Amino acid sequence: MTIETQTQNMSVNNFEQCLKCSICTVYCPVSAVTPLYPGPKQAGPDGERYRLKNKAFFDEALKMCLNCKRCEVACPNDVHIGDIIQAARIKYSTHRPSLRDMMLANTDLVGTMASPFAPIANPVLKLKPMKAVLHGVMGIDKHRTFPDYSSRKFESWFKKEAAPKQSQYSKHVSYFHGCYVNYNYPQLGKDFVKVMNAVGYGVHLLEKEKCCGVALIANGMPKQAKRQGEVNMTSMRKAVAQGHAVLTTSSTCTFTMRDEYDHLLGIDNHDVRDSISLATRFLLQLIEKGEIKLAFREDYHKRVAYHSACHMERMGWVPYSTRLLRMIPGIDFVMLESQCCGISGTYGFKKENYERSQAIGKGLFDQIDEANPDCVATDCETCKWQIEMSTGTPVMNPISIIAEALDVEATRELNK
Amino acid sequence: MEKELSNHYDVIVIGGGITGAGTARDCAMRGLKVLLVERHDYSTGATGRNHGLLHSGARYAVTDHESAVECIAENMTLRKIARHCVEETEGLFITLPEDDINFQSTFVQKCTEAGIRAEVIDPQLAKIMEPAVNPDLIGAVKVPDASVDPFRLTMANVLDAQLHGAEALVYHEVIDIIIEQGRVVGVKLRNNLNGEERNVHATLTINAAGIWGMLVAQMAGVKINMFPAKGSLLIFGHRVNNMVINRCRKPANADILVPDDAVCVIGTTSDRVPIETCDDMRVTPEEVELLLAEGMKLAPSLGSTRILRAYAGVRPLIASDDDPTGRSISRGIVTLDHEKRDGLAGFITITGGKMMTYRLMAEEVTNLACEKLGIAKQCETATTPLPGSEPKVETKKYSFAQKAAEGRHGTLNASIDSGDVTSDALVCECEGVSVGEVRYAVTKLHVHNLINLRRRTRVGMGTCQGELCACRAAGVMCGDDTQKAINDLAGFMNERWKGMQPVAWGDNLAEAQLTARIYQGVLGVDRLANERRVECYEI
Amino acid sequence: MKGEWSAMRFDIVIIGGGLSGLTAGIALAEAGKDVALVSAGQSTLHFMGGSLDLLGSDERGNDLFKPLDAIAKLNEKHPYKKLEDVSRLAGVAKQILERAGLATTGYATANHWRITPIGALMPTWLTLEGMAAIDDPDKMPWRKVALVNIVNYLDFPTKFLAAGMRERGVEVDVKAVILPEFQQLRQSPTEMRSTNIAKVIEQNDLLVKFADQVNSVVGEGYDMVLLPSVLGISSNEKAMQLLRLINVPASYVDTLPPSVPGVRMQSQLRRRFMALGGSFFTGDQVIEGIYDGNNLKGVKTAKLDGTVLEADNFVLATGSFVSRGLVADYNHVYEPALGVDVDDLGLDRKTWATVDVTEAQPYMEMGVATDHKLHCKRSGNVMSNLYAAGSVLSGHNSIKLLDGAGVDMLTALQVTENILNQ
Repeated sequence: MTIETQTQNMSVNNFEQCLKCSICTVYCPVSAVTPLYPGPKQAGPDGERYRLKNKAFFDEALKMCLNCKRCEVACPNDVHIGDIIQAARIKYSTHRPSLRDMMLANTDLVGTMASPFAPIANPVLKLKPMKAVLHGVMGIDKHRTFPDYSSRKFESWFKKEAAPKQSQYSKHVSYFHGCYVNYNYPQLGKDFVKVMNAVGYGVHLLEKEKCCGVALIANGMPKQAKRQGEVNMTSMRKAVAQGHAVLTTSSTCTFTMRDEYDHLLGIDNHDVRDSISLATRFLLQLIEKGEIKLAFREDYHKRVAYHSACHMERMGWVPYSTRLLRMIPGIDFVMLESQCCGISGTYGFKKENYERSQAIGKGLFDQIDEANPDCVATDCETCKWQIEMSTGTPVMNPISIIAEALDVEATRELNK
Repeated sequence: MEKELSNHYDVIVIGGGITGAGTARDCAMRGLKVLLVERHDYSTGATGRNHGLLHSGARYAVTDHESAVECIAENMTLRKIARHCVEETEGLFITLPEDDINFQSTFVQKCTEAGIRAEVIDPQLAKIMEPAVNPDLIGAVKVPDASVDPFRLTMANVLDAQLHGAEALVYHEVIDIIIEQGRVVGVKLRNNLNGEERNVHATLTINAAGIWGMLVAQMAGVKINMFPAKGSLLIFGHRVNNMVINRCRKPANADILVPDDAVCVIGTTSDRVPIETCDDMRVTPEEVELLLAEGMKLAPSLGSTRILRAYAGVRPLIASDDDPTGRSISRGIVTLDHEKRDGLAGFITITGGKMMTYRLMAEEVTNLACEKLGIAKQCETATTPLPGSEPKVETKKYSFAQKAAEGRHGTLNASIDSGDVTSDALVCECEGVSVGEVRYAVTKLHVHNLINLRRRTRVGMGTCQGELCACRAAGVMCGDDTQKAINDLAGFMNERWKGMQPVAWGDNLAEAQLTARIYQGVLGVDRLANERRVECYEI
Repeated sequence: MKGEWSAMRFDIVIIGGGLSGLTAGIALAEAGKDVALVSAGQSTLHFMGGSLDLLGSDERGNDLFKPLDAIAKLNEKHPYKKLEDVSRLAGVAKQILERAGLATTGYATANHWRITPIGALMPTWLTLEGMAAIDDPDKMPWRKVALVNIVNYLDFPTKFLAAGMRERGVEVDVKAVILPEFQQLRQSPTEMRSTNIAKVIEQNDLLVKFADQVNSVVGEGYDMVLLPSVLGISSNEKAMQLLRLINVPASYVDTLPPSVPGVRMQSQLRRRFMALGGSFFTGDQVIEGIYDGNNLKGVKTAKLDGTVLEADNFVLATGSFVSRGLVADYNHVYEPALGVDVDDLGLDRKTWATVDVTEAQPYMEMGVATDHKLHCKRSGNVMSNLYAAGSVLSGHNSIKLLDGAGVDMLTALQVTENILNQ
């Protein structure tokens, strides 16, 4: 009798494929700096076997996991270690998020409140007394500078300045700008629109956009994350139905919506997942297919060091951004060795994590100091905060660098 | 261990399986002076080679009322006295489309007659209660099955026997029965670790050696007609199910899936084998195939779950004395008073039965022994908790390893050194075994080698089967004789491999290659070990 | 977007980022090629230790002193039989390591011996600078050794090590050091590993403190101090620095995995490859090949959904079962990335493995089938531009012959030459 059996392993998140080789422990940035975290092997597949037996084996120390997924990238056996850990937190944690965590997690809500008061909020958030309050009462580390809140949201700018002009293009994409672009750094959104328009694409916002939910997941609020995710999926479905790709300028938002929605939050995203892409990837693929061309300014010169953000690394998409950047003739390109910067979204903002966060990033900061670039390029906004704060080197999204180096007129001509 | 033995005991119990351990405990609790002897390690025979199922008795309800009644009574007793060895999982008897659904009503009725609570439940509900169950099921009955750890249960009985004054010797084999004037007066023992021999005397000798009991009886010149029945089982890498899953039909091959600790076990097959082969049972590829095929009918996901090991045990089936052909098998407990049966005083055999009913077997044979010795004390084993199962004390927040250890040792966990960095260092990462637990096992639980240690602590029983922990444990245990420790390590790795080899494909094969690269490639264990042969009984 | 695939073009795409893939990648990049390397996770270098074997044993299990001479006597199926000049390639391999910042002792002409973590001596070809290496197993170079461990570190079994050396006439004293920072690490009972200790020492600049401790416990009268190899995770510099700070000549001995020197080899080789302009696709897997007759045009990966990696030549260096370069399911053994032919020795599942684990296990010799130029085959047809290198090759048992690293590096270099000489 031949039975079709034992041909594939189907344990949840491949936890049973773990060969106990311990390679993941070599690459965990958290266990390298704190003895309180049990490490990815123990927190992940080893712990999971026992949690299946009894949920009492869940350990709240798992919340120290950054969800950087570097263990997964390192794993030679495709065990989804980070997913196992996050799923266990969602399933077993009895810990209620604090006010601080809720505030940090609700990036869009806080942004909405802060934006109109940006002229007041920004200086206030920087004042020493305010920082002391945040540190003491809220548990937000005093070393942290909140990213400035922009006085004009990206959405407002877009609706007024850009939206009316988009219909002139023959091809179209939708843009998931994310909280950071909307509230803190609209310039990146403007750069994106500039580049896309130059290559002949009109840009549209989604009918309704909510925060991707990454901070909610990290802070133990999966239910709210799921609700928001469903809203995004509904809007994206509509965009995809119109033939739009949905582009982002954040590796973390992209990763969350493509790879965490389904198995962590139980949101069915299979029909739109392939249409969600990072802008650099979208552009590079079009260039490689010969569908668009970019022309760059001859007077542009910059030494750029590229930092592989954790989720970029996990998606395996680093080469898209780096190949695109390397196309700019005036760029002196340095590839930094891939290491976590330590911020991991809201993680590094918490008082209790500050020192760990800085210790994790130290290797990267040293590399940057040594490379001495004009700017660091990375696809993640929270890495930007961390690296700017810790090294003083400006950090730019590759799209902003493209926008800066682009010869808009020549590019328009090439793509007519 | 090598302390002076007494010249004379009331009782010598032969066999360190669950029956022998339980008998030693009962005898000791009645005030007898007891010596327990085991030729290898505790629970090396059938005790350590079954499902680890705490039968509700439902399996026997239709075919064997008496066994069913015994099972449910003992089931309830063990939940109380052996709390730390039992996990109250509950069980399902499922009917599949190919089974006769009419059997279900007979089954429930017979269960009820035997005093087993059998509750018919909606198949949809069964799927919610146990998501791993075959979704095609057409019927389900819930019964009070549970899982039990036979290694722990045996050890707890030995410990309690010792607490009541019994002495216990492992690696001591009975090589002759001493008969004087038509009466068994003791046994000749050989220490299997150093070859020394000696005689020990006792008023009564109880043969509780499982299938090997027929060989012990032979030494005494009496004949017991036994049929060794090989049963093979497979261990999966993690728990697929959290309830015991059985087939609701007449007992057949591979129709029980039990969640045991961090794994689950499917079994068994059943084949008569010659007694000569009982010391070295190996699982054949055909048995693996059958177990898998049948197991997938209970829980389809077994087809895609990693199999860690295959192993086999031998049931001590015994022919009924009242059947002259010797063909009719008694499933129940058999106590043979050789004085009455064969005219050989001072010798009793306890056999048949099952792990489930060990306590009852022990009670029966101890009653007989007490009667012969004129002791009036009543049996208290059904009401006195075993060491480790005393009422639970709520303790501080535990680490992973401490929680795992509490699961293994119950309240005795308190005797394990912890809280300092040396004791808390983990030896086995899969199963959470600390240095403290290893040291505790070595000093308190009769551990002579790594395989003994595995039976006491689960070292090397996780999915990697000893990839790093075996070497760490060998280092922790190593005394002055490093060569012995290296040989032990080599032997342990071969023992682990014995169970992996019949299921060496997929991740298991990759794991085996990794382990071989570490132990042979990086460490060179095979170069240092000068004694590669592993005693087959250890495997 | 769906349905239309873009392509990234390279001269060569290498599948597998372990010793073999990186060796080929570096050699090809040094020759000026545009090379991409797709790596599904980290490699077995992480448990190899600080030495590289060329050929340690003959087929009967006897230790070899002169590996090159013994290669002639190997079975015809052995991958070395497909190399043009083993001696020359071995020299090239040593230089490749050197240029990647991995100085080694040893040559292919004569094996030397490494000390294993449990005190066995095993023949080997190259040993990383700083690791203990012995020229003649019958003549230990030290009279009196201090074996220094870190308190509570279980992955360096000093009792076994000491016994192994005493057996060979060396006087050994076992010592242990402790630093408060290690105790800190110990709070997580699972994480007292070689690599974590290395990180603690290197991140906190504890070298001098550590060396002081070693010096104070060792004292005088020793001609060698042996330490667990728990230093130098990112580069050899710190490892060598510590040795210099110790008053007595000192060397490292391998620990249980993960291996710090192994991790260092991995990261140094990768760094070298990147510095040469190589593209590294991390944590991704090749899942399908796009063929044009006997020519491989491109490969698809699990993560670059929508993009094909195209190249003139491809190298399959995905390793054996442990690295998932080969997969054994219930019924057969196959190569999962490209579905090329596997030489399964005509065995069925029942005979893949034998009962005694110390015997030569048949499955160890399985691997992909190649022609004399190391071209892969598909359904029996030789693929013109797809080569295989390293442990994915069939025909040898690296555990028995002690030839793993040699096969990894030398076949990779031969493939490099075959590609460059096309």
